Amino acid sequence: MIKIIITFVTLIYSSLSMALEALAEEEMQKVLGQGGVYLSGDITINDNGGPLNVSGATIGDVWQKSCIPTSTDVRCGARIAVNAGDGANSGWLVLDNIRGRFSFEGLTLKTRTIDSGFDGDGVIFNSDVLEIGLPNTVSYGGVSYTLANSSEARPTDSGFSQTDIFSVNINGDVSLRGNLLLFPTGTP
Amino acid sequence: MKNIKLILCLLGISTSLSVYSLERLSDSSLSGVQGQAGLTIEQSQLLNIGNLSYTDDSNTLSIEGFRISSQADTNAAANRTYTLDVLADGSLKMKTEIEPTQLHIDGIRINNSPASFGDLTLNYEAITDFSIKGMSTGSLEGSFTTGISNAEMIWRTNGNAMSFDNIGYNASIDNFTLEYDATDNTKDFLRTGLALGMNNFAFDFSTGALRLGGKSLGELSGNLALSANTQIFAGGRSKKNEAKEGLTFHSQVNILQDEENKIIFTDYDADGTANSLLMGDFSGALNIDNLTFDVEVDHLAIGFDEVVGSFRAGRILIGDSLKPVGSIELDFMLKDDVANSRYNRLQLYPGIRQPDFDIMPVEIEGYARTFYSGLDSTSEGLSMMTQWNLANAELSYIDDGNRVIISGIESHGSANTTIDIRGQNKLAIGVSDLIGSYSIDGLKVGDNPDAPIQGGAELLLSLEVFQAMDFDIDGFTEITAGGHDSFGDGGGITINGDYFFTNTNIGLSIDENGEGIWATGVSYDIHLRDITFDVASNFYENDRLVAGGLKINRGEQWSTMDIDNLRWGNKVSGRSLGRVVLERFEKNSSLAIIPGGAGAVCIGGSLNSTGDGCSGSNGRFEDRGEQGMTVSLKAALADAEYDAGGEMLRGNRLTWENNRTARPDGEIKGTQIIFDDYSTNDGAGNSDNNYGLQANLNIDVYETKVLKKSDGTDAGGVNGSFGEELIYDQIGTDVDGNPIRGNEYTYIDSAIVEADTPVGAELRARRPLGFAVQGNVSFKELNIGAVQLKHPDIATPETVFYGVVMQNLNLTTNLTATPIQ
Repeated sequence: MIKIIITFVTLIYSSLSMALEALAEEEMQKVLGQGGVYLSGDITINDNGGPLNVSGATIGDVWQKSCIPTSTDVRCGARIAVNAGDGANSGWLVLDNIRGRFSFEGLTLKTRTIDSGFDGDGVIFNSDVLEIGLPNTVSYGGVSYTLANSSEARPTDSGFSQTDIFSVNINGDVSLRGNLLLFPTGTP
Repeated sequence: MKNIKLILCLLGISTSLSVYSLERLSDSSLSGVQGQAGLTIEQSQLLNIGNLSYTDDSNTLSIEGFRISSQADTNAAANRTYTLDVLADGSLKMKTEIEPTQLHIDGIRINNSPASFGDLTLNYEAITDFSIKGMSTGSLEGSFTTGISNAEMIWRTNGNAMSFDNIGYNASIDNFTLEYDATDNTKDFLRTGLALGMNNFAFDFSTGALRLGGKSLGELSGNLALSANTQIFAGGRSKKNEAKEGLTFHSQVNILQDEENKIIFTDYDADGTANSLLMGDFSGALNIDNLTFDVEVDHLAIGFDEVVGSFRAGRILIGDSLKPVGSIELDFMLKDDVANSRYNRLQLYPGIRQPDFDIMPVEIEGYARTFYSGLDSTSEGLSMMTQWNLANAELSYIDDGNRVIISGIESHGSANTTIDIRGQNKLAIGVSDLIGSYSIDGLKVGDNPDAPIQGGAELLLSLEVFQAMDFDIDGFTEITAGGHDSFGDGGGITINGDYFFTNTNIGLSIDENGEGIWATGVSYDIHLRDITFDVASNFYENDRLVAGGLKINRGEQWSTMDIDNLRWGNKVSGRSLGRVVLERFEKNSSLAIIPGGAGAVCIGGSLNSTGDGCSGSNGRFEDRGEQGMTVSLKAALADAEYDAGGEMLRGNRLTWENNRTARPDGEIKGTQIIFDDYSTNDGAGNSDNNYGLQANLNIDVYETKVLKKSDGTDAGGVNGSFGEELIYDQIGTDVDGNPIRGNEYTYIDSAIVEADTPVGAELRARRPLGFAVQGNVSFKELNIGAVQLKHPDIATPETVFYGVVMQNLNLTTNLTATPIQ
């Protein structure tokens, strides 16, 4: 299972090399002219439940709950079930009851040319990269999820049973500074 | 003497095509005559001309079967009355009353072409007042009013008709002038021509319905006031020092600032409620240089050297008059680029000129052959060959006084188009070899049109507007009258079409030099069925009651976008992320464009119960005003359909292929990761798919908070500390007393800016502007059938995940996006 996940992640980024770097403004001045975009705001997941909580009355009683932001009901969040076994004969790995708010100021997206630095590799690379400028602070407000194993994909499926492994609840700030650079390495 | 000749000449022209009959007046009629001055002519007119020809450089434009008759009986004369007076100031005044008349043309051909443009019929009645007098300079001036009512215009090809019903038209010209003193030297020889001036040419028009086969697409009406000067010269498009027959125009038009200027498209609901799209309060100017008309061997040629225009629409409404969308301003220049052989030309051919099917891409060839089946070289219709070169355009969108400018828009290209009316009440539009490109340099935000260009045009991706594109498109569209059944048969449009893009490059995020992220070598195969457009009110979109908006129902659509390379940098030499193939299949998806943006929002928290602040201490409250736009989308991703061999015919699948090399079988292939057969459903464990994947985007232009991300001097040479906020300088105030931002800026302690003080409020009013998007994405269930990996040398992919089931997501974002340098 772990091998599969590692393989999957590796494949996704197989033609990307990534580098995290803190870049000074002086270095930013060497960036060759491209513009970009500066993003601020928040992302909120299932603050008042999801669409199955609103109109789920016909789907058993599973999703029929009141989901105010402070509700702790386990059927107010989003749910992702993954069958990483061999299909019908295996169970499901579940991220369940996903809720919460992420707030950030100053996530930037732009392309820039790398033609120097990186211990000489920049001269050799001499191409454009996608630069994701990390926001200084990401605030977590009531972010929670549960990792579980389940016999069926949906809680409304016949024979459904689920074993929760652990639950997470995060509140607070995470400081993220610097840039994430995505280097395409395919042949031009 | 010259004026008298001209007046006689004009009278001669106006009556030369008429047939008169003198009738004896009865005694009772004569008894009513009270010795008035002037002259009254009662005319009965029945005109039949077999062939009326216009010859230009030996090429003949023939108007066949030209007839003027009574509407009630095409073999009977139409009646009209002329009343002429000479006024005290020497003006000749003529009033014309035209009783119901039909003007008909059987066909228009060029050099006896086997096909014609189709037949045209105009039914109308009118009252016209016209006065004219000589000017001291030897020319003519006068005034004019007309009222046309109960009019109907019908265009018929191959026995099928499209009509504008119940046309009303009223126009007046306060003062017009007709002079002989226009001169032109654009051909390097001096020619003189006619100068026509119009001061305050005001008109309004209305159509009861635009109909296809008796069914309405909707109504169109409007008002416009303009002043114009036009110079007309003999001789068409020719080389320097070459005299050819034809016509040349130069024209200068001013659309007068008038709040009554407007264009309205009206669509009716099943219950008869009128819903309108309105663009009003507009003004602008248009200068046309060297507009020419020529008859060529097999076509009518129209072209111009340059058109420079500006246009402003101060009021745009979509259904709901309480929530205007905002206003737009457009400046543009269409100009020939001789060095690169890019021109502005239109060639009109009689009949349907079918494309060469044998050289079309196989993906679209079959659809094209079906589209033109049943038509031949004698079929009536209109064919066009178009070239354009948009040298530059700047488009501004103003939302609650906040402006964003899409800057440096350029485009050039050419296309072949056919238009005809088909059986089953269809308007058929075929486009082949639509080859060209467009690009956008970037955005400017704020109040100053001279602000430097910034990046950020990728923000338009949320509206599926790409920053640049090179394209080669073949597309075939059939339009029928009447929208979605739920809105009745009062109007609306239904579209079916098949389209194929080839040799296409798409700029996803690029700078003004064309460097950035490109999708290159793209082929895009799109099929649309039962796509309906309605302007509607009080309808539900994504479970929300909408007061009024533009509603698009997408009955069925499937497409394949094959991106050969996703490149970083230059579109030719940039490094590639690999190949991406996106296959889509949707049934009963929908889209609504709704006036009004996000309104009051709380970023980082929740709105309080009264909607005028954040609940508790968390969050930043913003009131983004009444204007703006909401895009509401439902994508119902359908289950895949397979053939007997198990190959997917239509479905949703995402494939990413990289590390492509020459394989033992000789083909260039790489490793693939495949997200196969993903679809939505209602989460009930069956195939119900009414909810789909829903997305609502509330879009405003609004002030944004931009913080410095490190200590020191930034790319613009401005010094500041980490966490300080970027604030623009002020170069003036607008009519409402709001500050106008300049191009310079400084960094200021964020605590001072955020403080609830007069200084803080003044600083916040000079924050940068950007797009503010409140978005919501939700679905009940989104499935991925399988996630697979495929080695290039094996036939069947290996399955990594045998299914992914995602349920009950409701994701809300409050994002502000600011273009940066």
